Amino acid sequence: MTRWRKVRAVAAFEMLCTVRSKSWLITTFGMPVFVGLYAGVVSIPIYLETRQARQVAVYGVVDEAGVLGLDDEVAVRPIEIPPEIRSAVEAAGQAEALDRQIAWFRNFVFRPFSTEERARAALADGAIRGYYRLAADYVATGVVESYSPETRTLGGSETRRALDRLLVERLVRGKVADDLAARVSEPISESRDWLITKTGEVKRTEGAARAVRVLVPIGFAVLLVMSILMSAGGLIQTTAIEKENKVVEVLLSSANPDEILIGKLVGQGVAGALQMGVWVGMAAIAGVGFTGALSAMGVEPPWLGMAAVVLFFPLAYLFFGSLMLGTGSLGSNQTEAAQWGMAWALLAAVPMILLEQLLHAPHGAAARILTWIPFASPTVVVLRLTVDPSGIAWWEVAGSLVVLIAGIWFTIRLSARLFRVGIMLTGARPKLSEILRQARLR
Amino acid sequence: MTVLVFNELRKSYGETVALRGVSFEVRAGEVFGFLGPNGAGKTTLIRILMDIIRADSGSITLFGEPHRREHLDRMGYLPEERGLYTKQPVLRILTYFGTLRGLDRAEARRRGREWLERMGLEEVASWRVERLSKGMSQKVQIAATLLSDPDLCILDEPFSGLDPINVRLVEELILERRGRGKTTILSTHQMSQVEQLCDRVALIHRGSLKVYGEVGEVRKRYSLPEVRVVAEGDLPPVTGIQKVEYEGDSTWRLLLEDGTEPRDILAALVRAGARLERFERVLAPMEDIFVRVVQEAAS
Repeated sequence: MTRWRKVRAVAAFEMLCTVRSKSWLITTFGMPVFVGLYAGVVSIPIYLETRQARQVAVYGVVDEAGVLGLDDEVAVRPIEIPPEIRSAVEAAGQAEALDRQIAWFRNFVFRPFSTEERARAALADGAIRGYYRLAADYVATGVVESYSPETRTLGGSETRRALDRLLVERLVRGKVADDLAARVSEPISESRDWLITKTGEVKRTEGAARAVRVLVPIGFAVLLVMSILMSAGGLIQTTAIEKENKVVEVLLSSANPDEILIGKLVGQGVAGALQMGVWVGMAAIAGVGFTGALSAMGVEPPWLGMAAVVLFFPLAYLFFGSLMLGTGSLGSNQTEAAQWGMAWALLAAVPMILLEQLLHAPHGAAARILTWIPFASPTVVVLRLTVDPSGIAWWEVAGSLVVLIAGIWFTIRLSARLFRVGIMLTGARPKLSEILRQARLR
Repeated sequence: MTVLVFNELRKSYGETVALRGVSFEVRAGEVFGFLGPNGAGKTTLIRILMDIIRADSGSITLFGEPHRREHLDRMGYLPEERGLYTKQPVLRILTYFGTLRGLDRAEARRRGREWLERMGLEEVASWRVERLSKGMSQKVQIAATLLSDPDLCILDEPFSGLDPINVRLVEELILERRGRGKTTILSTHQMSQVEQLCDRVALIHRGSLKVYGEVGEVRKRYSLPEVRVVAEGDLPPVTGIQKVEYEGDSTWRLLLEDGTEPRDILAALVRAGARLERFERVLAPMEDIFVRVVQEAAS
């Protein structure tokens, strides 16, 4: 019989020891600072490049073909942003940043030169960054020559795209109707996507929504494997420390292995949840506009998937954590214990290995089978509920939960027995058959 | 009153037999010496008592009831293989061990402070264990064991690593417990401490009980019929003495003939005019008994 008072005592001690350790404090609060600093360092060259790009970039054009009809300098008009993207970016409070980025395109100015010699002289004076020459047979050949100093190339995609836009606009201007000219200039101004469900229902969807539906489960899967790996490290370390410090016998004389194992799982789990909470909180503060952005795009946040995460993640942690704790205790040192932990972590990563297939067919045979296997079900169910909630039956979710809970009950009992044998082991590791025999005998 | 009864306990590890049907009792309020050479099966028996491992057969009665895990909250255990969390502060560990024994957190913390004071360690409450000397660490572990004031306490080699002053401190703690009717099982290889502290003993060897009973009675059982006499002047000849050996400093050791009681010799010496200053039965030291029992079993 498990005495919860003992479990609570073990859990409180484990949790307090963990959250008061330097390594936990540094990881929890130092990681976001590190990520922030890293982002800052990485963004410096990007900032400098952007700043340089914001300066007016003047290019010469020698139009021997006479297709541009330029009398004076011309700035290429900014690119069009799809309305749904613009409204999402505005909802996220990033309209100003978007405008700054768009302004970058306004800085392409094309200056006409009557002869190539004049253009070359302007280049030599530094008045232009380079120039393009459209030969007399340009319309027939489509060949455009670019000239630039040795230190710079005109091959940059943005410059080329700006010239493309200018050419398309000037080639059709006055030759076709204005609306047709506008369409040639911008063949797709807005994209509308539709989904057809299995029942034949037609549903509106957007590219952004699809991207969210793909990215969210990937994020969940990564988060699950990461949290299992990190928590397992703590669990394995705490047992190894007790073996090294020889406090095991006192512990086992005060609480039974089930109580110690559950206490450790809960204590380390709470410490892990606190750490995740701090990180998620900081991330939420940093990206407070994310939800607004999703709704502006017409994307419903994957509430069902998120609810499943809240339900399945702690269960997944208990399942894998108990296995790691039980088998990890058989290791005679931290390295051996960690090897056991890695074996389970690899099993936890199986859905990630099959991710492409699961995303392609979220309710296919593989996904349906994995729904019932506790090693994979937490990730797979969350993925199915996020990608397409309509394709998974309620009894599949309930059934996988029942199987997972039964799996936890079994692994905790098995691990407690292994833990009882393993935690008392010192020196050379006995054979697996001997371990199993002792676990059976108790 | 009996607090603990071992009844025919048997335990094997594969082909190795650790206990071969061990039975004995421990009474309330006594200091009970649990002795045996290394590998005799002492640790196995203690681990069975503490529910760390299970016996293959046999039974244990604790506090008048069949052995249950709940009884462990009334017990304390200082194992031979022991240690503390080296990176944690002393008081936190004491509080933890107290809560594991059923105390609430505040009470465990209060008692932890009290015990540190009692052990002369009040200044180390906030120290990490790794800062403690071996002796300090040993005292902290004893404090952790006795913190919950257990009715039955098992101390396995509690004196190892302690200087004579701290040995005396721990001896006093054990005797103080006996004065309050608390039971202590003392497992040690220091036979002088067994003679000094224990009321009764059990000695096991190769999983079998070899010696069991009151310390004085056991020592008598394994002693020759000898008396030691300190007297002024010469010792007059009396009948019933097989051999006389002068040990110096007016002290004689007399080996009695079979069937002669020490009180007969005392009366005869007084009648013969011996000026006696001291007369005592020579009892075999526990150490000699230990060695003899183990060697006899080996031969």
